[in-house]
Amino acid sequence: MNIKEIARKAGVSVATVSRVLNHPENVAPKTKEHILKVMEESEYIPNWFARGLNFNKTNTIGLLIPNILNPGYMEIAKGVEDVAHQKDYTTLLCNGENELDKERKYIDTLIKRRIDGIVLISSLLEHEDIMNIKKQEIPIVLIGENKYMSADVPLVRIDCQNGAYKAVKHLIENKYKDIAIIYGDTPEQENKRKLIGYKQALEEEKIIENPEYIIEVGNNIEEGYIAAKKLIDLKKPPRAIFASSDLLAIGAIDAMKDYEVKVPEQIAVIGFDNIQMANLIEPKLTTIAKPMHKMGVVGARLLFDIMDSKDNGDQIKPREILLQSKLKIRKSCGHKERIGEIF
Amino acid sequence: MKTNFLGLKLKNPIIVAAGPWNRDGINIRKGIAAGAGAVITETIVSDALLDVRPRIAYNGTGAQNIRLYSDIQVESWQREMDIAKSKDSIVIASVSAHTPSELAYLAMKMEKFGADAIELSISSPMGESLEVVASNADRVYQMTKEVVENIKIPVMVKLSQNATNISKVAKTVKKAGGSGVSAINTIRCILGVDIETMKPMLPTYGGYSGVPIRPLGLASVATIAQTVDIPLCGIGGIENYKNALEYISLGASAVQIGTSVMLNGFDVITKIVNDLEKWFDENDIKDIKEIRGQALKHLKSFEEIKIEPITCHSDDKECAENCHLCMNSCIYGAITREEGIIKIDKEKCTGCGLCNFICPVKKLRLDW
Repeated sequence: MNIKEIARKAGVSVATVSRVLNHPENVAPKTKEHILKVMEESEYIPNWFARGLNFNKTNTIGLLIPNILNPGYMEIAKGVEDVAHQKDYTTLLCNGENELDKERKYIDTLIKRRIDGIVLISSLLEHEDIMNIKKQEIPIVLIGENKYMSADVPLVRIDCQNGAYKAVKHLIENKYKDIAIIYGDTPEQENKRKLIGYKQALEEEKIIENPEYIIEVGNNIEEGYIAAKKLIDLKKPPRAIFASSDLLAIGAIDAMKDYEVKVPEQIAVIGFDNIQMANLIEPKLTTIAKPMHKMGVVGARLLFDIMDSKDNGDQIKPREILLQSKLKIRKSCGHKERIGEIF
Repeated sequence: MKTNFLGLKLKNPIIVAAGPWNRDGINIRKGIAAGAGAVITETIVSDALLDVRPRIAYNGTGAQNIRLYSDIQVESWQREMDIAKSKDSIVIASVSAHTPSELAYLAMKMEKFGADAIELSISSPMGESLEVVASNADRVYQMTKEVVENIKIPVMVKLSQNATNISKVAKTVKKAGGSGVSAINTIRCILGVDIETMKPMLPTYGGYSGVPIRPLGLASVATIAQTVDIPLCGIGGIENYKNALEYISLGASAVQIGTSVMLNGFDVITKIVNDLEKWFDENDIKDIKEIRGQALKHLKSFEEIKIEPITCHSDDKECAENCHLCMNSCIYGAITREEGIIKIDKEKCTGCGLCNFICPVKKLRLDW
């Protein structure tokens, strides 16, 4: 069933049916009701892709995330989707898997599908890729530290270095000195900053870095397990671990359970992200809460700001919005001292 | 009663404070219809969440709230502002966030949606770590500055009494280009504990508001008025027109009323506006300027107070039946009753003044 058949059935012109779909306010109420009824009876579904061609708009945005198995990204995605849905937009979710080629392919497909805007979360895309998207006049917003960042592209992020610093500082305040870091190899920029934050906190307290305590692994539960195993097996295992993501922390705690190391009595663990699971594992994970949903919401807002400005010709300058992370104290490391959380 | 505040022309100095009573356009209209000079929206945040239940407690004098932020997302406030705004209404948008860029973005949105001014709510004592921001002059400066640089409408910053030095923070607001300050926000509290269940009345720290915080609000307003030249809005425990006048006499150009609206409805606004108007007429006051800050003249620094040899005196009025309050409360043991008559030992009385406030029939006074 297509628009022509509907027009014939309803005894009106194709243009009138089209108006009902796109500018119903311009159609006489009686005619509109009649056509809608015909559509309903014929189970007609408008071809939204074709509609996009006509209006240069598909009411679709693309969202590229690094890893669909990391629940943190799902919370950001929900934030994006919440705003998009409210605006009557569909969000196409693309899982880049930290592979540049895969990301490029997705971008290519999104452009071909004439999406109206793109949100990139910690993507690996390079300058030329971004320029290519911009050339097509497709608005882009970045969430988190991306490989390509510039003042021309709106950005929502948290201060990863400061977050890591707060985490390690919390361990130090709870009298831990032998502190290890397990950090992920992706997203690269964020983890680099977290490592700097870790080192900064140690240096401030004049704690000498131990290279054995610094471990880089893949950012997932399994590798968190492996890294923790490596630390447990050291001649002098650390007394505390800062994991750069909750997934790594969960893997580490799992390893400690298997090797009968008590958390936090023998080794304390602090994570980063505050995914929902952090509150469910035993012991409940102390972590740096990243405002993930809010990052998604704010990112989507920035995207719609540009998309709307394209429609009404406003000039808006790209903004960077820095959101705040917060220490969330639970039971996986010292928790008597709660001042950092209450204030 | 016209008041110029933040460069806005208010028809009177009574403003409905930010809170859930102003949660949407229809409710904001109620405040305007009740006669308020301006209305401030419920505080708008980036990520509106569902509110916890319960979140407000009351003990007969003061109220504790845990979180009173708008559950309407910022884009939907466009519609609410359209409903709220009419020809002569003034609507101020209250926004809250944790970083300068986040705060500025919300302020810009609300400016676009037609807000006449912005109030920065960066001092709530709830589980949001904002109280710490409000006592840190540098952070208040950064936040205010970023907002001021991004919008054209006036910016007022709501301050906390919990700051070590509220004047210092108010000065910072001025330096950052803020048009005014409002004081005070609620104060970190636990309203009470049920000793049967050993449970606090609400499950986390909250903000204390209502009549008991008025003396704190008055002191903060006076302190700012004496030290910083910046338009001031008084908040805290205003129940009636006299309370509003107290704030104005200590330097406020306008006042905000919140908890009283929560407890009594918008009628309280109408009553305060009418009573205030009547008082202006009776005292032949044409402009609020004539009374603003008048009480500050009588507010001295401690060192300036002259020591006069005053002691307590009693007149012939009958005591209240079975009343021993003055004798019980005289720290110096100077008051006795002989054959039904109150006697004051002038040697023992040090003129502290407490009994004057305690006596229910007001028969005691200080003199020399």
